[in-house]
Amino acid sequence: EDLKFANYMAATHPYVGGTFEPFAKSVEQKTDGKLKVTLYNGGELGSGPAEQYSRVVDDVAELAVSLPGYTSSKFPLTLVTELPGVIDEDTGTKTIWNHIDLFQSEFRRVKLVSLWSSAENILYTRDEAVKSPDDIKGMKIRVPSRNTGKLVEAWGGTPVSMPVSEIYNAMQTGVIDGAMIDGTATRAFKLGEVAKYLTVGMETTISPFYIIMNRDAFENLTDDEKSAIESAGRKASELGHEVQVTEAKKGIEAFADMDGKTLIRLSDDQAAAFDKISEKVTKQVVQQQGDQAEKIVDALGSK
Amino acid sequence: MRSSSSMAWSKRLDRATLALAWLAALGLLFLVAMIAFGVLLRYVFAIPILGANEIVELAAVVVVMAALPYCTAERAHVGVDVFDPMLGRWGRLAGDVLSRLLSGFVLGVLVWRAVLKAIDAWRWGDATNMLSMPIWPFYAVLAAGAALCVVVFAMQIVIAVAAGEAA
Amino acid sequence: MSPVQVGLVGIACLFALMILRTPVAFAMLLVGFFGTWALEGFRSAGGLLLTESYSAVSGYTLVVVPMFILLGNVSTAAGFSRGLYDAAYAWVGRFRGGLASASVIGCAAFSAVSGSSVATAVTLGKVALPEMRRLGYADSLATGSVAAGGTLGFLIPPSTGFVLYAILTEQSVGRLFMAGILPGLLLMALFMLTVWIVATLFPQTGPRGEALAYRERFRLLGDALPLIGVIVVSIGGIYIGAFTPVEASGVGAALVILLAVATRSLSLASFRDAVLDTLRTSAMLYTIVIGANVLNPFFAVTRIPDALGAGLTALGLGAYGTLLMIILGYVVLGMFMDGLSMLVITIPIVFPIIMQLGFDPIWFGVVAVIVIEMGMITPPVGLNVFVVRGVAEDVPLTTIFRGVAPFLFAMIVGLVIIVAFPSVALLIPNSMFG
Ligand code: NA
Ligand code: NA
Repeated sequence: EDLKFANYMAATHPYVGGTFEPFAKSVEQKTDGKLKVTLYNGGELGSGPAEQYSRVVDDVAELAVSLPGYTSSKFPLTLVTELPGVIDEDTGTKTIWNHIDLFQSEFRRVKLVSLWSSAENILYTRDEAVKSPDDIKGMKIRVPSRNTGKLVEAWGGTPVSMPVSEIYNAMQTGVIDGAMIDGTATRAFKLGEVAKYLTVGMETTISPFYIIMNRDAFENLTDDEKSAIESAGRKASELGHEVQVTEAKKGIEAFADMDGKTLIRLSDDQAAAFDKISEKVTKQVVQQQGDQAEKIVDALGSK
Repeated sequence: MRSSSSMAWSKRLDRATLALAWLAALGLLFLVAMIAFGVLLRYVFAIPILGANEIVELAAVVVVMAALPYCTAERAHVGVDVFDPMLGRWGRLAGDVLSRLLSGFVLGVLVWRAVLKAIDAWRWGDATNMLSMPIWPFYAVLAAGAALCVVVFAMQIVIAVAAGEAA
Repeated sequence: MSPVQVGLVGIACLFALMILRTPVAFAMLLVGFFGTWALEGFRSAGGLLLTESYSAVSGYTLVVVPMFILLGNVSTAAGFSRGLYDAAYAWVGRFRGGLASASVIGCAAFSAVSGSSVATAVTLGKVALPEMRRLGYADSLATGSVAAGGTLGFLIPPSTGFVLYAILTEQSVGRLFMAGILPGLLLMALFMLTVWIVATLFPQTGPRGEALAYRERFRLLGDALPLIGVIVVSIGGIYIGAFTPVEASGVGAALVILLAVATRSLSLASFRDAVLDTLRTSAMLYTIVIGANVLNPFFAVTRIPDALGAGLTALGLGAYGTLLMIILGYVVLGMFMDGLSMLVITIPIVFPIIMQLGFDPIWFGVVAVIVIEMGMITPPVGLNVFVVRGVAEDVPLTTIFRGVAPFLFAMIVGLVIIVAFPSVALLIPNSMFG
């Protein structure tokens, strides 16, 4: 049987070779070739990360990768993990999987195959260095999610939501002054070409990724095939995390090495100025989400 | 007798598509105002609307889907006309009936899936990312627009067959 | 049947449906839907239909389509477009095909702020077509020059096509943008030359106007100022980074409505007609986008592009032979597919082959963009041609394809020049970035 895997990222994205292809191979090996996973990269099955969830629910593809942040209303609890200070960039995925049952209820319309925490969203700016929240005042900053929007607003900036594919043109023409996105964007989305400064070191949002499967397609598999998907998916979570964190670090270093670009690593004092504000945002969002969210923060905090 | 009753129905249908087109027109002017106002707020008053583009996107759904039946009733869809003389009168009629039957069927499937999706989105409380606006009404608009299109196709088939000639 | 065979049957059905007068949008929708049904089952086909319809009509960047159409319609109804073209006619009307050439320049200027070919053709078409026809230009030359001029949208930066190519091949967007400038100007010049040749061979297609005194010319230019003002504010706003293209289109439409109201040049009845026409044309174009979005994933699942790629390497034709085959393959795919989807599906297959043959990646980006732009004006599925047909409703599609033909030939000439002299593409990026 052939399972279609919808991926909106280009075939050159590090995730493809480092996570999705190994996932496909592993499923095939574990089922002795009975299950085959075919990757459709670059939005071949329909473009746009926001529709990925629907593609799986509506049977366009059996498997798909995306971020819960694109359909926030479906994943309020999962998105608690992206708030500043809730999980750690290096150990986030492990922490999440240690408490995976806390999130399963949000994935009941599909089968959750993989879930990994990403690299931190950092701040690329077009032509002004940012070292303190004061520097952000009045800046138009692209944000990837609602929580990140709240964060930028609290820091004093003006959040603008915009799909990742439009950041380059918007920053080049000055429609935005900066963008919050993880370090892979230096290369994957060419932000190294249009941003002069990159600020890292403060606590920020860490947007998780998922791979999901159509529930009926999963239920129709034999028990062996199900466990093949589950174990390959679990492994893909680790690989996805590893690829993202390594690539993001490389992206940050690559930015620093480029001519005329400045990497700003905040000192502890400088970072504290941001973190004090961020802490309030986390508290506020968790409070709005209620008891369940607080339980998650406590659980993840205990690792 | 028969043709006059089908004329009456046809008129009623025209009124329905036009009424929906006025809804689309409202949406269109709202879009213009919304985009221009957003720019004004941002530059003159430095008040950005987080998620303003969500309003624009949802308004566009209303504009396009409410205009689609009108567009279809006015036969504004672009087709290839070069082979018409070769097809002959009956060929043209057969082509028109066949394309409308098939298109009507596919749009019918779209209506059905959009209705299910609207119910689904309502049941699960699906909402937009930044502004948390409910999404189900917009799937409902999509379903309604496509459904009226199916009716328009059906009426065009009836008229063409009654006249024994493609429009 | 293998997926490739299903794909070929699908292409045959696409032709058959169009011959049988099925509107282009629905022909694409039908083949995409039934083809997906055949390969993936009924539920998948229905799901594809729903997700692609919804994502097309709720797409943010497509909003420029209704906005720019409204801008054009209102300025036509209020007589602003007329003023602009009277002025243009006063200045360039005495040259053969002068207005068509002016429209090509208009397209190039708009391309410099718009990343999209469709937006370029919509905007120019809405303003230019009725006016060129009023001043006695043949439908074929008028529509052909706008449909072809619109293709400059991808070549002259900014360009959605180059951004996508850069991401797919890990090249620099900046370099690609720079590489597009000279070929864009070259094509613009070739298009103007084409206009001149057509108007010389067939003088009735682009009649010469009489020469006017400078005094009269400046008076007409003054009359055109309102619309020029709107264009400068909205389009100029993109240049200086004040707006995104969507914002510029909305601000432009709002300004032109305000201007028409302020100068009392728009009656309620003509405003109503302008709005209704905008709705008709926009719904038509969105339906084509939906059709293309449902058709493209079907072609992806048939794996026809992979089969073409595999056949290609098996032939062993040498560098330029293989390049020629790749270009021909793009021309064939471009007859049916939308340009951006074509890039997404083919570049991962074609790019490694090109690199192996030792071609320059930036130069090939320019070649690829020109070739997919050709697909936008080749029959039977030519998005720019449909756009122009949408804004000039009474012109038969065949007339537009006929009018486009000489420009297609000009693009081939341009392509040959760029293949023979790669420095046309590489001169600026190499001197800027080293
Ligand atoms: Na352009
Ligand atoms: Na074509």
